[in-house]
Amino acid sequence: MSEIKPNESAPAPGEDNGEEKDWAAAKAFFDNLKTHKPRPPKPRFAVTIAVSSRTLFNMVAERKIYEEEGVEKYVAYQLEHESEPLKPGAAFPFVKALMNVNSRLRELYPDSEELFDIVLMTNNHAQVGVRLINSINHYDLTIERFCMTGGQSPIGYLKAYMTNLYLSKDSEKVGEAIEEGIAAATMFMPKTEMELSDTQLRVAFDGDAVLFSDESEIIVKKHGLDTFFEHEKEFENKPLAQGPLKCFLEALGKLQRKFYAKNERMNCPIRTFLVTARSAASSGARVLKTLRSWGLEIDEALFLAGAPKGPLLQKIKPHIFFDDQMFHIEGAKELGTISAHVPYGIGQKYNRGKLIEPEKKE
Amino acid sequence: LQALQKVNERLLEENPAESLLFDVILITTDSQQQQQSSRVISSTRHYGLEVSRFCFSSEEDFIESLQKNNVKLFLTTDTNEVTQASQTGVVSVLLDQQTAVCSSEQLRVMFCGDAVIRPDTGPMPLTRQAAQSFSTQLGEMRQKFGMFDSPLSFILVTSHGGRESCRGALQMLRSRGVSVDEAYCLAGAPRGPMLSLLQPHFLLRDGYSGLEE
Repeated sequence: MSEIKPNESAPAPGEDNGEEKDWAAAKAFFDNLKTHKPRPPKPRFAVTIAVSSRTLFNMVAERKIYEEEGVEKYVAYQLEHESEPLKPGAAFPFVKALMNVNSRLRELYPDSEELFDIVLMTNNHAQVGVRLINSINHYDLTIERFCMTGGQSPIGYLKAYMTNLYLSKDSEKVGEAIEEGIAAATMFMPKTEMELSDTQLRVAFDGDAVLFSDESEIIVKKHGLDTFFEHEKEFENKPLAQGPLKCFLEALGKLQRKFYAKNERMNCPIRTFLVTARSAASSGARVLKTLRSWGLEIDEALFLAGAPKGPLLQKIKPHIFFDDQMFHIEGAKELGTISAHVPYGIGQKYNRGKLIEPEKKE
Repeated sequence: LQALQKVNERLLEENPAESLLFDVILITTDSQQQQQSSRVISSTRHYGLEVSRFCFSSEEDFIESLQKNNVKLFLTTDTNEVTQASQTGVVSVLLDQQTAVCSSEQLRVMFCGDAVIRPDTGPMPLTRQAAQSFSTQLGEMRQKFGMFDSPLSFILVTSHGGRESCRGALQMLRSRGVSVDEAYCLAGAPRGPMLSLLQPHFLLRDGYSGLEE
């Protein structure tokens, strides 16, 4: 089986022993539990998704206390309400869908470590952790790994956990993660709730500046659409450079192939979607050819030729939709899609097609 | 030592009449060092290290020295000394190269969230009790500072167990007056990368701080 984490090298022999001992002890611990909880997979082989506390749970009210009354009052409030489970947040349906894929994978491959590993990565003080754990228990989520950094930046810990995808409400942290080469996105909770599949994980990606680099978007912004179409036709056979979420799509693809190998293609619990403003006729070919050159498959490619993404996403009903432009995020959110903003590329300097003037410093 | 001093400084800032402070004793059984005692003493002064007492004893009596001085925490690079001191109930910690790169601005104390599975490989019962009372005192010190910007930080690391172990440890420590600041639950994930980020000064083995399954 090829690596899900292609950049990870094998540990040095001395380190390996320590790691193996820890791993064996954890295995023994979980195997001996009376509750028969599934034990978490070996990080090296797993697809690790790190979620922040505010994306996993709805902590809007608590956040307000933190911002208005300060950290001491906030922690005191959390301690007071420790036994009250928090309500689900934007990443909650996504996490449930990941858990479902894991159960299906465990059925087919009981000894494999190639599973989703969900890690709670939060800046919160450890005392708030008790309420978070109580809430995780309440919903019976399979989250056994976490970092409660008590205010320190999570970036180093993301790397230590070999994170494949990081979801947070804090766009600064997300930006930092992307700069460090970790796929990351800022999550937004839609106003209305959409009914989502509980048997299939559905993930929708924008193309440019998400799966692919922003090289083509730069052409649109600087030289206009006509130049863009000409350029894409001319370079149809030259693969685009990769974007921040390409590796995550790749990890999903590897897990999908495990189902295909067991004849479960029709019943695969993972489905991926490309939702792009490109049009099939003029600029779509390059995208499909790029994916093919990377050896990646996407289940459905939807070319909107500039039409709004919101209504289409309503039909797709993804557990998460990644886009680099806030304009599309807002449109999707309006119509009930759980959206995740990828702060990457030239799209960040523009708002609805207009260049954002840098703020004048006082 | 520098981190301990930082804690003392901040404690005195909060309350100039503060009595719960760290008191540092330098102890050596090395006869060569004892012959150069004035050099040892002036070197500590040179680096601005506040050592209140210098104890030159023989290998046979050093345990007695520890007890006579009511030592709560003994730090050494010698594994034999750790074993000997632990056997008499003095909380002992082995320092290594990792400790040298730790912060001099914040004292970072680590606790382990895994239950002691095989008691004979764990710390001696005497030291367990001593560690518990020491950690309670540290907990008291911690209370004098706010949530953030504290010169003293408690870190809980659960290496093998999952969230239940972690929660149990958080609550158990809380009941002993230790309010943990940072918690990391590894559930079998590699410890190395984590520890090199966390950089605790030492691990306080107060023994059974986890849940029984």
